Amino acid sequence: MKRLVSNQIVGPLAALLLVAVVVALTTNRFLDVGNLSNLILQVSIVAIVAIGSTIVIFTGGIDLSPGSAIALMTMVFAMTIKFGGVPLPFAVLLVLLIGVFLGAVNGVLTAYFRIPSFITTLAALSAFRGSAFMFNNGSPVFSVHPKLEPIFYGSLLGVPLPLFYVIGLYALAFFVMRYTAFGRTIYAVGGNPQAAALSGLNVARTRFLAFVIAGAMAAVGAVLMAARLNSGSPNYGVGMELSAIAAAVIGGASLAGGRGQIVSTVIGALTIVIVQNALNLNAVPASAQNVIIGAIIVTAVGVDMWRGEIGRALAFIVGALTSPGQKGKVDQ
Amino acid sequence: MEESVPVWELRNVTKRFPGVVANDSVSLSLVAGRIHGLLGENGCGKSTLVKVLCGVHQPDSGEILCAGRPVVLADPIAARRAGIATVFQEFSLVQTLSVAENIYLGRLPRNRWRIDWPAMREGARRVLGRIHVAIDPDAIVGELSTAGQQVVEIAKAIAANASMIILDEPTTALGPDEIAELHRLLLRLRDDGRIILYISHRLDEVVELVDEATILKDGRVVSNAAETPVEIRAIVRKMVGRVEEHFPKAANATGDALLDVRSIHTSNRVAGASFTVGRGEVFGLGGVLGSGRTEIARALFGVDVLRQGEIRLRGKSLKLLSSRDAIAAGIALVPENRKSDGLFFNFSGLENISIAGLGRITHRAMLDHARERRLTHGLIQSLRITPTAGTALVGELSGGNQQKIVIARWLFAEAELFVLDEPTQGIDVGAKIAVYQLVNELTAAGKGVILISSDYDELLAMSDRIGIVSRGRIVAIRDARSLDKADLVKASADQEELAA
Repeated sequence: MKRLVSNQIVGPLAALLLVAVVVALTTNRFLDVGNLSNLILQVSIVAIVAIGSTIVIFTGGIDLSPGSAIALMTMVFAMTIKFGGVPLPFAVLLVLLIGVFLGAVNGVLTAYFRIPSFITTLAALSAFRGSAFMFNNGSPVFSVHPKLEPIFYGSLLGVPLPLFYVIGLYALAFFVMRYTAFGRTIYAVGGNPQAAALSGLNVARTRFLAFVIAGAMAAVGAVLMAARLNSGSPNYGVGMELSAIAAAVIGGASLAGGRGQIVSTVIGALTIVIVQNALNLNAVPASAQNVIIGAIIVTAVGVDMWRGEIGRALAFIVGALTSPGQKGKVDQ
Repeated sequence: MEESVPVWELRNVTKRFPGVVANDSVSLSLVAGRIHGLLGENGCGKSTLVKVLCGVHQPDSGEILCAGRPVVLADPIAARRAGIATVFQEFSLVQTLSVAENIYLGRLPRNRWRIDWPAMREGARRVLGRIHVAIDPDAIVGELSTAGQQVVEIAKAIAANASMIILDEPTTALGPDEIAELHRLLLRLRDDGRIILYISHRLDEVVELVDEATILKDGRVVSNAAETPVEIRAIVRKMVGRVEEHFPKAANATGDALLDVRSIHTSNRVAGASFTVGRGEVFGLGGVLGSGRTEIARALFGVDVLRQGEIRLRGKSLKLLSSRDAIAAGIALVPENRKSDGLFFNFSGLENISIAGLGRITHRAMLDHARERRLTHGLIQSLRITPTAGTALVGELSGGNQQKIVIARWLFAEAELFVLDEPTQGIDVGAKIAVYQLVNELTAAGKGVILISSDYDELLAMSDRIGIVSRGRIVAIRDARSLDKADLVKASADQEELAA
């Protein structure tokens, strides 16, 4: 188990370090303190949302809805504070409950009505976004509350608050996945649902709870998003679900379910954000950035899939170079 | 007659993989109009040899001759073109297409640009007729039974005019009637002058069917066609080097009642089954495929809910609404299909063993990894599972080790009653013996065992009592020692006829 964990993290971590070193060497302002803390702010929301996406992926499902859910929740959040006069802490609590509810909707349809999660969350992607536009005539809500921005931009002992949120939530997720029966059950359900059912595990409940967790993480993302811009908007979070899935996949989670490490997802998210940051600093247009991100996703998954073959090919080349007299062996 | 002239011949074929010589100078002569058995334990090199013959692997040295001329089977397409057709355990059929389309897949008859449907249908009908099979060419393959699909696979080989048909474990998913049907078909093909290369773990059917057999061990031929007597004991001795332990049955049955099943009914075939299992007893369920054997197991395990009747374990009446309830009561099911229903291929052996008993290693809502390791390693040792199972993914382990891991899971979960559904299917003789010894250890520890097996020799040898199942009921319960194989086959068949 220990060996397994470290092996699964080593690959993504090495890729991240490689990317970071290349970027640091090629981009002047990358290592500026200002830029690095900006990086943390940038990665925080998608990293937190990706916790939920990754856990759903571990169960063998997929969640396409968090981006839309975030838009809907920022609207509800902003309006209850600004127009409803609800105190900030209660509004945060309300949004968390809504997140749990939205996740539960996905969960019930997927786990208990057995509609494939790709379909249920694709429907939710559309329905949640549509619902977001039903509030405030579809207009954004600005200047929500003076105390809202510090939730995102505040710092403790000089460290930006979002870093604490990310570390805290990933620590919690790591603990759940590694040290609880629930975490083990998630891997089992994703690995082989029939065998899980015949081993006495509650497959439907596990899948349901994974979506509830994803909803709760989207709620945290919504609060941070609203705080970052002191506003709510039905246009927030577009494409967030894909960034979150990309983070999980670059981190080595298998879309077939059952395989991957939650902590690797934050590594995947950081990889994406660092590349985006470097491209921004080098003034690469957004369209080209998207193409490059796409290439990175395919490369990451490809390298992971063909790791053994690539390793053998490298060993062969190294072998051929170091002992020119001997023929290297490449076999199945 | 030029009977002794081989059509296909392997000469000193050697195939190495890193760290292992899978085929070590293997020679094999395959003569037209004969059924040739290829036997040996798992890992003896059978699969590699088959893959060499169907073009998947290239031999490192040695040659393959067809009608005396050396040929190179560069890839599966070349092998098929040379007349070698292989029917694998997993069929190569397209489930959503018709029988005719499957038979002509890849070379659909054409009429300029359009597919010539009438010609295809007619051709398919002719091929099916030639092998005396009544299957509608327009039927969708996915809707046929496993046996039906296998026949389509064979028809495909015939339509491609194969001179040799290789069957790799063709009977694992078939019932006795279907096996007999398949064997009749193979005999017709043999008489038609084709070569059949037949690979099976089920030695009882092998000796009934084949004309000659080659035995492999550790990649080498230990007994060629001329040297192999077609007789089970002799074959087992050559395969594993021992025979007397083939069915090491220990009698541990006690009179203490453990399970009492009273006239249970489910909406899935079980209609009034009653029987008891004592502590230390192996109760065998005999009967043909579809008689309700597996469905009785499902009812006991809470997969199918009772409509009527009662299940009592240790004198307590059980209400089983799900597998969870059954597991909580101390019932274990080792499912027939180990790969799809038993194992977690994303887990190591250790995690596969503990998964049904996580409660045992949960302490204050936390998994105690040290305790998990200690308990599972105890089981890995006592069941003589390979020590690498602790860390290796189960997919990397042999079939025998995998089966032991599934059984270990239920020991970990502290089950009292073990329902073993085809526990030795697809594992080699050595591993089978290990599973039998495991059954003995279960009974010695006072557990009850329900054994379901299509291998009648195994069922007779390992059971204390046998219940014959027909139409969802136990129609007769006999002492296993008072029955022989013929009785069992006859009793099952008679009951089916009576009921029909």
